[in-house]
Order: sequence, then C-alpha cells, then structure tokens
Amino acid sequence: MIFDILNLIRNHHNSIKPTPLLRHSNLSSQSFSEYFNELLEKGLIKEITDDNERKFITLTDKGFKYLEKYKLILGFIEEFEL
Amino acid sequence: MPPFHLIDPTRLVVEIGYTLIIVFLCFSIYYKTRDLYDLTKYEGIKYFRITFLFFGLAFLFRFISVFVMVMGMTFDFEISRYLFRIFPLVFNGYFSTMGILSLTYSMIWKELQIKHMLIVSNAIAIIISGIAFFSRSSEILIEAQAVLLIFTIIMAIYFYIRSRKISQLYILYVLFFLFWLVNQLALGPRRFIPFEFQTAFQLISIAVIGIIYQKVSKWTI
Repeated sequence: MIFDILNLIRNHHNSIKPTPLLRHSNLSSQSFSEYFNELLEKGLIKEITDDNERKFITLTDKGFKYLEKYKLILGFIEEFEL
Repeated sequence: MPPFHLIDPTRLVVEIGYTLIIVFLCFSIYYKTRDLYDLTKYEGIKYFRITFLFFGLAFLFRFISVFVMVMGMTFDFEISRYLFRIFPLVFNGYFSTMGILSLTYSMIWKELQIKHMLIVSNAIAIIISGIAFFSRSSEILIEAQAVLLIFTIIMAIYFYIRSRKISQLYILYVLFFLFWLVNQLALGPRRFIPFEFQTAFQLISIAVIGIIYQKVSKWTI
C-alpha cells in the first residue's frame, strides 16, 4: 500500500492534493490518514504549501529511493521470510 | 598437564582467521542492510540485521576468551581471572543471547507481536550473562543458549507443520546456532572436542554464514 501511494504521487508529476490522493488510493479516510501519517513520519513524503495557501503532497528524495528499491526490498523480505 | 591442542600455536592462528572471517561477514551483513531498514523501518529487517551486529560482537569477545586461554597455557603466565576471562565471557553471553533472540524474533514477529521486544531480549540476555558471571562458568551459558536453540527448532517445526514447507532458511539458522554452541564448548573447562573436529565445525559455520551473506548481497548494493 505504501508503494501504491508513493507511486500515485509520482505519477501525478510528484505533486498532488490530499483529497485527490485519498480518492485515487481507494482507502477509507481513517486508513488513508494512518498511512499518510506513517509516510510523513518515515520522511517518504512531505507537504508543501503554494502561494495561494494550497497544500500539495510530494515525494522526498527518500520517497524516490523507496520506489526505486521497492523490488529489492520486497525480494529481501521474501528471501528471508521476515 | 593441559590438553595438548591448547598449547598448539596452530590453534591460535586458526582462531584468528576464523574470527576475522566471521566478524567481517557479520558486520558486512549489518552494514549492507542499513539502507533497506532506513527506507522501510520494517520490524523484521531491524531484528534480522541487529542479529549479525550482536553475533559479530559475540565472536569478538569469544576470541578474547580463547586468546587468553591459549596464551596463558602456551606461555604460562598469570592472567587476571576477572578482567580477561570472566568479563569477555559475560559480554560474549550477552551479545550472543541477543543475537539468538533477535534472529528468532525476526522469523516470528508477525505471529507474536511482542511490545518492546528489545527490552524483553535485553532482560533475558542480562539474566543469562549474569548467571554466567556469578557461576564463573561457560557451561551454564551454553545450557541456557541450548534452551533457546531448542525453542528455535520447535518454532521451525511449528511453521513446517502449518505451511507443509521446509524452510531452507530455518535450517540454516538452526545450523548457525548449533555451530555457535559448539564454538562455545571450546571455552568450557572440559574442551572435549578435538581440535580437528572444532576446525571442521568452524569451516562449516563459515559456509553457513557465507550463504546468508550471499543471499543478503543479492538484494543489497
């Protein structure tokens, strides 16, 4: 799910408002909120505000790295049955 | 008269080589998995990697104990019992117990979900190494860790029954723990394992951790 959310942000030119992200993620508000906070805490995404006070969500460098290494991460977890 | 293999300097060279290789492999596994853990903060990866940090440190302290024993016998000088024999044993016991508990938990954390597992592991490791300290005996340490090994084997069997699949990884881990215990026997007063068998076990344990290292390298840069 983390991969899906990050991928959504990347596919929207790395800039998406919270509401469309929620809609595209097909999650309930509560679940989305939990994942969103987790991604913020882990430093994979950040919120930015434009000049018109509108909030957007973007990937951090760490978020991009996570997407790049996603297959490696999955493979490692499966290899070692973690 | 001391057992002949303890005054053989070949043993020291073999122990140095063995320790260097194993410590290098353990610390390399810990270092190589750093990125994966930093990105995901995944619990299983955390316990997997700290296992090898703890075992690397345990092997270092094990070597200190063996070195002191061999040097004392070979060159016949008085060594402070507490400083150079008991403390390495205690640290060896603490780190190796933490290693065993961490690796076992990395396999079963999804089923058990123990809160504050690090605190629980530390408490168990401190108790076991405390017992080793007060008993001044590596045998108690070996027996306590043998109990942990039995627990790991039971978990492996349990998961086999559930999934009907033999996990090669669990077999590797059980072998790794078993060879660790055999290595610990070198620290006991009886030291009944002949040097040649000891060396064979050490070579096999290098192969086991080498396989784990190779699997880690496949998924990390």
